[in-house]
Amino acid sequence: MCGIHIPTDENVLVGLERADDAGVYRVSATLALIQTVDFFTPVVDDPYWFGQIAAANALSDVYAMGGVPKTAMNLVAFPVKEMDLSILRRIIQGGLDKMSEAGVVLVGGHSIEDKELKYGLAVTGFVHPDRVLTKKNLVPGDRLVLTKPLGTGIINTAVKAGMAPPELAEKVMRLMAALNRKACEAMARFDVHACTDVTGFGLLGHLAEMVSGSGAGVRLFAKQVPVFPEALGYAAMGLIPAGAHKNREFREAMVAFHDAVDRPLRDVLFDPQTSGGLLISVGAAQAGELLKALGDAGVAPSAEIGEVLPGPEEKIRVE
Amino acid sequence: MKEIDARGLACPAPVLHTKATLDQEKPAGVRVLVDNAASQENVKRFLESQGFATVLERSAGDFVVVGRCGAAPAPAGQPAARPAAESNKIMVMCATDRIGFGDDHLGVKLMVNFLRTLKEMGPELWRLVFVNNGVKLAVDGSEVLEELKAYERAGLKILVCGTCLTHFNLLERKQVGETTNMLDIVTAMQLADKVVNL
Repeated sequence: MCGIHIPTDENVLVGLERADDAGVYRVSATLALIQTVDFFTPVVDDPYWFGQIAAANALSDVYAMGGVPKTAMNLVAFPVKEMDLSILRRIIQGGLDKMSEAGVVLVGGHSIEDKELKYGLAVTGFVHPDRVLTKKNLVPGDRLVLTKPLGTGIINTAVKAGMAPPELAEKVMRLMAALNRKACEAMARFDVHACTDVTGFGLLGHLAEMVSGSGAGVRLFAKQVPVFPEALGYAAMGLIPAGAHKNREFREAMVAFHDAVDRPLRDVLFDPQTSGGLLISVGAAQAGELLKALGDAGVAPSAEIGEVLPGPEEKIRVE
Repeated sequence: MKEIDARGLACPAPVLHTKATLDQEKPAGVRVLVDNAASQENVKRFLESQGFATVLERSAGDFVVVGRCGAAPAPAGQPAARPAAESNKIMVMCATDRIGFGDDHLGVKLMVNFLRTLKEMGPELWRLVFVNNGVKLAVDGSEVLEELKAYERAGLKILVCGTCLTHFNLLERKQVGETTNMLDIVTAMQLADKVVNL
């Protein structure tokens, strides 16, 4: 969008210039709308699971802003000449079931014919204008908390390669379909300074976005980051999605790895996630309580994975 | 040397292709052709996980991974593969592409000679870092590119300053080493037993 003038107004609390998880527009002193849209091609073979995952992924941006999703519209691209319509019904059913789990109502949608199947949602949520959580407010001393394990991109690549057992594929499917709702509700009670959700750029890519322009630096404790252990094995074998390599090339100048962090773990830290967990920056005094609240809400395995430092600015030190 | 053409295939297909060939034919050496850097990196990792020593090449727009079974015998005139030195770690930092002041032509020659001779340090040579004008030694057209690549293959970690590459508009032309940042360099200085500055 570089070079294109985008008009704005005073009620745009979060707009394009911020490149955050969603746009936020103030309606009144006590209400702001969160708007976001996301859709993609199938990440799993089962249409019902794909529908759930695509919906959970689209809803996640509202949770990452600290909001409550309220309404949604379906976005569908479907190869109607080549594929049976029953597949589309299963996808939409998966999306609908996820929306009811989130307390969201479907109010419309749009479908087009396309050679490649795509599904997702445009979601609207509510938030108090003073309670909007963006990526850009890391405070030195904060602790970083992650609410889902990493490695889904690598494991999906191994599934595509026919090298992952079905039990693992299912475990990863369930994780991708899990809403970030409980994590969002749990963090609402704490002194959270910044939040985002971990998706296509991988943990380090999203952390790099948080640290850019923050005036702070980050220390990541690589061994404490929750990961699927199988993902490390697949990464060592080169079953790595191209996106992980792109993420690394794009951000490696901001990241300093300690020698003890081996290559497979580095790959997992850059692995693009589908519908990943929330990455939360919380005041140090409350980190323990937040983790306990997440655990009580069944958001596991959440973990404290790092801390925000006064400097060096815009750098991520991985130990 | 068994040649595998995996061009036109997306990840993870090139790895599976290579795996199938290894499983069926058990070759002592393979040359895998792919058409993108991500696949090249993945095939390299797969071959290394199977005990192959690898070398990356570019050939007429294609990306190539050459793998040899077992520890690769070091090609003549190149430093032998070695374990990381634990006794004495020497970091060499080149902030220029020539040695000394006076005659620039002579300075360039001296630097080339210096980098070629550096292998005599043996396993104590631990990091080679290029900053400022020094990054020009790590881009295409550099007279010592082949030597630097040989060092890297032998396990030496070469760091090239990303800010400097960007400054000179050379980011795309870097041919050897990892793009790095000041924090990496400072950390390396702290860990090194000896730092040699040029």
